[in-house]
This record gives sequence, structure tokens and C-alpha cells, in this order.
Amino acid sequence: MTDRITPYTVRTSHVRLFRFSAVTWNAHRIHYDTAYARSEGYPEVLVQSHLHGCFLANAVLAWAGEGATLRALRWTNRAIAVAGDVLTVTGTVTGAETDGAFRLVSVDLEERNQDGELCTPGHAIVAVPSVSPREVTSDG
Amino acid sequence: MIGLEKHAEALRAELGKERAERLGVLSGRDIARFAVVTGQPERRDVTGAVLAPPTFLSSIMGWGAGVPDDELGGDGTATEDTRGLPLTGVRLMGAGQELEFHAAVLEGTVVVAHTSLVDVRLKEGRSGPLLLLRILRRFTTDAGTPLVTCHESFIAR
Repeated sequence: MTDRITPYTVRTSHVRLFRFSAVTWNAHRIHYDTAYARSEGYPEVLVQSHLHGCFLANAVLAWAGEGATLRALRWTNRAIAVAGDVLTVTGTVTGAETDGAFRLVSVDLEERNQDGELCTPGHAIVAVPSVSPREVTSDG
Repeated sequence: MIGLEKHAEALRAELGKERAERLGVLSGRDIARFAVVTGQPERRDVTGAVLAPPTFLSSIMGWGAGVPDDELGGDGTATEDTRGLPLTGVRLMGAGQELEFHAAVLEGTVVVAHTSLVDVRLKEGRSGPLLLLRILRRFTTDAGTPLVTCHESFIAR
């Protein structure tokens, strides 16, 4: 297992932000009404705080592979991101320990925009199967 | 600052009080939509039931039908968006979460949210006064089995 996770990049859009607001039942206009967001002093509609967390989770799970699950995740919304921003999540493995059939891997995470500005620092603990799920099934 | 001081005083009276809300049965369609929108692959358990993405429960802002348009604030939010706290007239922004995942969350699960306010701080920020709130939500099954624990931070202006 490498000490850096595979970078995860996503381009945000008005449509994605609108759909995330819809699926989370979040009617706050700051996420889908550009005129309103500008009246609040922002250049565009804001990426939801929870969507940043989803991107961090996606990054870790995509890197950890099949059968991996999150045990813990935390993040802080430090700087805003707006529709049209390209966000990239990177991460560094900071430790690992064995828990039964799993390795619990700790990862420090950073989500930055296209200008390199840190939007969302975070941390995750991901449980990765020590052996493949197929091997576990055949043994059981 | 006076307005926020009044809010802080009202909120301090809420510290430690836990409210339980039965969120209902998790819909496989709602989970699948969340996964599609957030860019996560669909996952199922061995029985074929849809598994919720880890951030699903803690991202949903409202679990009921909501309120009519004329009961929404000018910013589009409703009182229920403030986790039921007395924060009418302030702007609430999410500032981060700290999540622990205890068990897989499957479609068909009846979920209960146990919500309490655990910290309130009044602070003078760079752009004026603000309230820093920390809310604890414990998501369990209706039998009390822990699913997800979420400490969430909010900034209120």
C-alpha cells in the first residue's frame, strides 16, 4: 500500500449542486440561486459543506478498493468552493494497524481548488480487507 | 452582537437536551439517488439490499415533507433546517463533521436520530460576531443499534 492515495478530481457544476440540494432536501438559496449568492457577497453559488465531505469519502474509498469501508471521517470547511471549481482530493497515509481480518488505515486528506487553495482538510480511517473478499468467502 | 447574545443565551438552555426523531424507513431509491449525485458507485450487501454511502445519513437536511414556500425564510431555509434549535433570523453555515461509522446502513432500515446541542460559543470574527455551534446526532435503528455518530459544527451569523 502506497503512502499517498490516488488523487480524486471532480468538477463542480450548477446542476450537481442543485441535485445535491434536492436529494438532501436543502432549500438554502445560496447553493442554487446565483443572484442570491452574490447578494451575500459570494462570486457564485456555494458547494455544500456536506458535498465536500462526500468528495473526501469518495477519494478514500476509490483508492482503498473493493471491500473497503470507512470507520471514521472528519473534515473542516475552511474555504468556500463555488460552482465551476475543479476540486482535487489528495491524501497521505499516516498509520495502519490490524483489526481482525482488516487493516485500519489512517489517512490525512486535503481538498484543494484549481488555484491550490485548501478548501477542506480532513482525516479518515478506512478498513481494508487483509485478504480479498473472495478468499474470505472460500475459507468460510 | 446583542442579537447573537440573545440567541446564545437561548441556545445555552438547550445544551445537553436530547431529542429523538424517528426518520422512517430508508428508501433504496433515495439512497441510490444520493449515490448517483455524489458520484459513488452503487453498493449492495449479500442479500441485494442497497447500502447507503457513508455520508448519507448525516447529509440529509430534512426527513419530513417540509413546509410551504410562504413559511420559508428569505434565504430559503426553514426552522427544521436548524436541527430544531431556536435560531430564527440568523444565517447558519455548515463548518464540518466528525463521523464514526458503527454498522452498515441498508435500505429498509428504520432510523432514529438522537440530536443534542453540545457546545455554544460566541466569538468576534473577522467580519463580525458569530456563534459557533456543535451538534451531536446519533443515528440508530429503532431498536437502538448504533449506525452513525455525527458531531457537526455550524457557524451562525
